[in-house]
Amino acid sequence: MVLSQKLHEAFKGTVERITGPRTVSAFKEKGVLSVSEFIIAGDNLVAKCPTWSWESGEPSKRKPYLPSEKQFLITRNVPCLRRAASIEEEYEAAGGEVLLDDEDNDGWLATHGKPKETKSDEDEDLPSMESLEISKSSSIKQNSSHTGGEDDDDIPDMAEFSEYDNIIETDPSTYLVAHEPDDDNILRTRTYDISITYDKYYQTPRVWLTGYDESRMLLQPELVLEDVSQDHARKTVTIEDHPHLPGKHASIHPCRHGAVMKKIIDVLMSRGVEPEVDKYLFLFLKFMASVIPTIEYDYTMDFDLGSSSN
Amino acid sequence: MAKSNINQSLLQFAPMQSSVDEGFWHKFSSFKLNKLGIDDSPIPITGFYAPCSHPRVSNYLTLLAESLPSESSEASLIPEPSHGNRNRCSVPGILYNTNTVESFTALDIQNLLKKEAKKIWDDIQSGRAVEDCSVLSRFLVISFADLKKWSFHYWFAFPALMLDPPATLVNLSPASQWLSIEEAESLSAACNEWRGSKSTADIPFFLVTIDPNSRATVRLLKDWEACQSDDHKILFGFYDPCHLPNNPGWPLRNLLALISSKWNLKSVQFFCYRENRGFADMSLSLVGEALITVPQGCKDAMPNAVGWELNNKGKKGPRRISLAQSMDPTRLAVSAA
Repeated sequence: MVLSQKLHEAFKGTVERITGPRTVSAFKEKGVLSVSEFIIAGDNLVAKCPTWSWESGEPSKRKPYLPSEKQFLITRNVPCLRRAASIEEEYEAAGGEVLLDDEDNDGWLATHGKPKETKSDEDEDLPSMESLEISKSSSIKQNSSHTGGEDDDDIPDMAEFSEYDNIIETDPSTYLVAHEPDDDNILRTRTYDISITYDKYYQTPRVWLTGYDESRMLLQPELVLEDVSQDHARKTVTIEDHPHLPGKHASIHPCRHGAVMKKIIDVLMSRGVEPEVDKYLFLFLKFMASVIPTIEYDYTMDFDLGSSSN
Repeated sequence: MAKSNINQSLLQFAPMQSSVDEGFWHKFSSFKLNKLGIDDSPIPITGFYAPCSHPRVSNYLTLLAESLPSESSEASLIPEPSHGNRNRCSVPGILYNTNTVESFTALDIQNLLKKEAKKIWDDIQSGRAVEDCSVLSRFLVISFADLKKWSFHYWFAFPALMLDPPATLVNLSPASQWLSIEEAESLSAACNEWRGSKSTADIPFFLVTIDPNSRATVRLLKDWEACQSDDHKILFGFYDPCHLPNNPGWPLRNLLALISSKWNLKSVQFFCYRENRGFADMSLSLVGEALITVPQGCKDAMPNAVGWELNNKGKKGPRRISLAQSMDPTRLAVSAA
């Protein structure tokens, strides 16, 4: 983690401690949410897309300004059938209309860096991402999960020194699911747990990703970046402590969420649609789909976004 | 209506699969250090599962931080199950954690599985499983937590009572084909209501009755005697975590054992309830008919049980996860520097 990010974290933490949560709605003016609006929007998401639910998370990490049983939203076991890196072209085609970015494509900026005037190369001092060179051509490695690295292999796999094969259960009624072939050219099905927390500093929802490989073993957070649109992987996704759960998780940094949501809301209003705050998370998740295009979470849009009648 | 594409073949069930949230191991480590010490008595835990909700991936039995008993409550070691969460149907389980690799490998795994299977069998015999069907699925985990290396070896088993001879399948088809359009619509609505109500959302086994006017009703298992009526179709339903089009998931096994032992049925129509995006989906859900032939005289003996999970290499054996990256203070210090 670079110093500028550490400083920003400390600053953000202090501001969060000394300022009260937003109570006045600025949803249409700034694209942000108050705490109570987050709850309203979350309740609506859970009602319309029941694969999402509220959770209370770790008791020690509870935020006093949120109800204890509605600390954050989560949907588990969401399939991700392809790596985002392999479908960049499709993303380009779909991303433009979803993001509502302006021509300079500057809706996204470096995570904690200075605002960039132009879209320069993706380099600079992108916090905590320096070591993560994930190129479009990189293949999915075998040891992609936490099943063991080079440095902690002093305990051999127990299966290797135990005689478990002796007790193979003979049961004709068990259907043995064929494993996906060991071929690096085949992109394996991953699954994700996706959570949405309320970021008090930015006053917007924030998305966190926990990835699993095809046998449901935890993925290193760095490998999650393969499922993030490559435009965003090195800019807007960071690996940080989850505010309600243990461990490091990949998160889409919310610094520009308010601005992008404001643009989406403006476009809707220019079409005569008056967006309602309880639909915020549907718009937000549709916008997130441009960042994580291959993770198939639910955000049904088959209903009216707002009322255009009044 | 009923499509008989598979004739008298063996009924094969897709095994339940496990998933352990990182939070579980974090909480377990603190539990071990602060409460258990070297005490290696078995710990009651709760697993969670839900019906399959995507045509391409099965659901898993998941362990979360909430699966463990509360550290603070001296009174009980029983985890408090959360009720009414449709994405978290509770399954009672037990965790055998050992303090050394040697004691881990020395565990008599056949016997441990049998012990859990016996609980299921006893609950079927006593009628408890009909009253509270959540005890019809159970699981056990054996583990060796190497807290010095933040490395965890673990192995799940999902005990299933075996029918001997095995059940055969008369037919199996998507519920949308087996049911008439009116029946499918009515059953969809009834299932969505069941899943939407806090009092029934996490009850994973149930009965479906369909009256001659194509009206479907979802009921509790204990209503079986009460809903016997000649002109009603009765299906035995369960939340199916499996997504495969030709195989029901694991929970059906113990349900069939219950039906055979308790109600002595020879032919069972079952309903594998599956969802798409959180709502009942009759083209993903399956309806099938199984034939059970249990020889007289074998009825009271406890059947054999199977259910050890294959690991990520596709073998019978433990899995291993290393959480040094998120738990090792020296590594955390380096990454924070």
